Amino acid sequence: MPQPSLFLLAAAELTAEVPLVLPVAPGGVPPEYAVAAKAAGFTAVPGQVLTLWGVGRTATILVGLDPADPEAAGAQAASSLPRAPRLAIDGRGLPRAMATAIAVGAALRSWRFPTNRFAEDPEAMVIGRIDLVVEDARKEGKHWRRALAVLEGVGFARDLVAEPSNTLTPALFVKRLRPLTDLGLKLDVIPAEDFAAKGLRLIAAVGGGSVNPPCLVVMRWKGKLDLPPLAFVGKGITFDTGGISIKPADRMWDMRGDMAGAAACVGAMVTLARRESPTPAIAVLALAENMIGATSYRPGDILRSHAGRTIEIIDTDAEGRLVLSDALSYAVATYTPRAIVDFATLTHAVSVALGHERAGLYDNDETLAAHLGAAGEVVGERLWRMPIGASHREALNSEVADLRQCNTGRLIPDASQAAALMREFVGDTPWAHIDIGGTEQRDEGDARYSAGPTGFGVRLLDQLVAARYEDPEHP
Amino acid sequence: MLTMAFARAALPKSGALALLVAEEEALSGIAKTLDEASAGGVTRALEAAAFKGQKAKTCLLFSPAAGFTRVVFIGLGKRAEVTASVAEEAGGAIASALSQEATAAVSAEGLRSEDAAHLAFGAALRAYRFDRYRTKEKAEDKPKLAGLTILVDDAPKAKAAYAPLQAVAEGVFLSRDLVSEPPNVLNPTEMAERCKALTKLGVKVEILGPKELDKLGFGALMGVAQGSAQEPRVVIMQWNGAGKGKPRKPLAFVGKGVTFDTGGISIKPAGGMEDMKWDMAGAGAVIGLMAALAGRKAKADVVGLVGLVENMPSGTAQRPGDVVTTYSGQTVEVLNTDAEGRLVLADLLWYAQEKFDPAFMIDLATLTGAIIVALGQEHAGLFSNDDELAQKLSAAGLATGEKAWRMPLGDAYDKAIKSDIADMKNIGGRQGGAVVAAQFIQRFVNNKPWVHLDIAGVAWSSKDTAITPKGATAYGVRLLDRLVRDHYEG
Repeated sequence: MPQPSLFLLAAAELTAEVPLVLPVAPGGVPPEYAVAAKAAGFTAVPGQVLTLWGVGRTATILVGLDPADPEAAGAQAASSLPRAPRLAIDGRGLPRAMATAIAVGAALRSWRFPTNRFAEDPEAMVIGRIDLVVEDARKEGKHWRRALAVLEGVGFARDLVAEPSNTLTPALFVKRLRPLTDLGLKLDVIPAEDFAAKGLRLIAAVGGGSVNPPCLVVMRWKGKLDLPPLAFVGKGITFDTGGISIKPADRMWDMRGDMAGAAACVGAMVTLARRESPTPAIAVLALAENMIGATSYRPGDILRSHAGRTIEIIDTDAEGRLVLSDALSYAVATYTPRAIVDFATLTHAVSVALGHERAGLYDNDETLAAHLGAAGEVVGERLWRMPIGASHREALNSEVADLRQCNTGRLIPDASQAAALMREFVGDTPWAHIDIGGTEQRDEGDARYSAGPTGFGVRLLDQLVAARYEDPEHP
Repeated sequence: MLTMAFARAALPKSGALALLVAEEEALSGIAKTLDEASAGGVTRALEAAAFKGQKAKTCLLFSPAAGFTRVVFIGLGKRAEVTASVAEEAGGAIASALSQEATAAVSAEGLRSEDAAHLAFGAALRAYRFDRYRTKEKAEDKPKLAGLTILVDDAPKAKAAYAPLQAVAEGVFLSRDLVSEPPNVLNPTEMAERCKALTKLGVKVEILGPKELDKLGFGALMGVAQGSAQEPRVVIMQWNGAGKGKPRKPLAFVGKGVTFDTGGISIKPAGGMEDMKWDMAGAGAVIGLMAALAGRKAKADVVGLVGLVENMPSGTAQRPGDVVTTYSGQTVEVLNTDAEGRLVLADLLWYAQEKFDPAFMIDLATLTGAIIVALGQEHAGLFSNDDELAQKLSAAGLATGEKAWRMPLGDAYDKAIKSDIADMKNIGGRQGGAVVAAQFIQRFVNNKPWVHLDIAGVAWSSKDTAITPKGATAYGVRLLDRLVRDHYEG
């Protein structure tokens, strides 16, 4: 279990073997801990942690609580005690929403890579269960139900991203999705042999070098509102060698995560289905493996997109924008969505621009961009709006085709140029593209995430839908 | 600089001529008269060329009627959408199309006087050329255009509107000259000398040399300079145009002026290193801006500060690992000697806020490659701790075409410059490089309202654009002049 399960617990059921987290607002150290806190210099500054071993229970963990960011307190407490099989959080006396947020922060920070070891290391035990101690444990409430749905979606996405590429080919990716139909999600798979008939030539080309054939997956959530769906589109390159324009060997292993955009879309669908959102939504996943082979596509090739326009290939390692262009075009033509948001680990340029702190937001619609930006601030998946300027589009003029795929060389604004390319395939549909090239993974654990995939995008989409698309009066 | 004359609209008898045509409008005025003189030849020629006045389209006719050499038709686009920028671009197109004529008449009939002035401004900006070092160019290859006569409905009004723009163009040219100069000619001493020319415009110019800077404690700037045989300079330029009355806080503009940047001991790769002659473009913009504001007698109190150094590797150069004490007292561990611009700015900014207590500080610097990867060459990166000032600058950018895109700041980025042995280090990782650089600079603004413009992508253009010939753009002069004009005068 890579991520702990969350339960509500009545105080009476709390046993002394379970370490207890005590969130403390600044200046609010309980009198019974005052001496220990003074001795340890614990003043409940947000993020500060004091662990007291064997005082009444196995461990009591005092953590400084910032009421504006309760998740951080949960995350800090959980990361300070990584070897407990169970953890309880004392949420008594706190508003339920805040108590829930602390538990969510602890659960997200406790995610661990699914292990594939021959023998498990007992020292590496991880938190399997987190109890939130509340006054009325029988009353779940909407915050709690939503939190569980969010955790399930984020956990599903992180597990997918962490999976090695030999056990997550496009076909195995689809296999992982099959059980989700139990949640009421519909699953349509367009296999590679149908690509020619459907005109999905860009995905066909990108996946053409691998023995693991590509496919296009459409997940559908019906909802209750009688409206066209929102569409989420995800880049799902299960492994990216770069193709003929092969990548350097160093850090190529990270490319197992080049399907994090698709994983985020799947995670969001899981969350929406689990909390029975009234809003119809679809996720379109472009799944392919970008390999070097005798049938690989080449730099210089000219490919015809699903939309009919031709693209001159410059660099086979800029494959994400190709599969997304086809997926966007297919989604718009087939489902006429109200709005479309795509997620992709698309460029290195975006992490040069914004680092790991914010994902790049590119769009053709100010309102959608504003809604996404606001949703990101609420859930801590922060975005920064970036330009698609006239110069970026001009850089895609080709001598021999309708569009030039990309440009090579030093100091190229590749993220903006990629967005300019994809914008050509969404027509007038409100569209936003989120480049998670810098935010989808962490090399080391930090205040919020454990090392590994972050599941960036799941909570963002869930919040966008909840805040902007669920009101039946103003859908 | 092109000589501009403004005269009442009437068809000249001969020479070169430029005519403006709005989209889908029939020929009128001078154009119609010319068409009649050519017995409908002009209409036939424009039809053959499918010229209908589309924006940015031009059509050049050779001697369409007796006495005329070249006549160029310039598309304005829809008349209702003509703005100062559209007029400037039309002017640029005229200067480009008629560069082989010595003089030409330009019909600006139907344009507002303000727009006619901007048309002249655009032509002047486009006709700039830096040719001090061409000794063997053939006469027929040299552009000849020396003057334009703008034919307008209200000549005195257009002429009056042009006067301040001409001063701005002078500032732009000063900036372009400085940026274009080779680094063996334009070392810090020479660049400071050239600032003295501003005294003629009424600017107070003060030059600080290494002795003064050492004494003041500009440890970061001096650390950058210490590897070069060229002495550093700091130039402080003051323009007091607000006049007497209640004293107001001055506006401060601060520029990075690395006259050549080898990278120092953390030396750059050889390929493209010649571009580093324009690593003083931030300072170039500040000097040009001071000339523009003083030249048009802006009603504002302004101070410009530039830090001029050469960054060289040598036996005396600073090393990666050195710790320097900045003017603010904060210490910096220099981990990469090629991240030198922020060191220069650190001392200047702290000094500026302490000495002048300005209303705001805006710094300009060709600071990072990361900003080019982030935004390309269309927008400068704009970093600010003040939303209102950032908004004003963005708007001025759209109005002048010197565009700026807001970039983020935040504690999470600031962590990247934590040092193990000093108050901060001068680099983070490659990720978010331009943001991290801005965080570094922010530590030296002492909470004053502040904007940092990273102009590494926009200071130099590799191709001709509408009003800027290939080369130094003088980005920032028109932008900041506009900011001052729109918000800080009167």
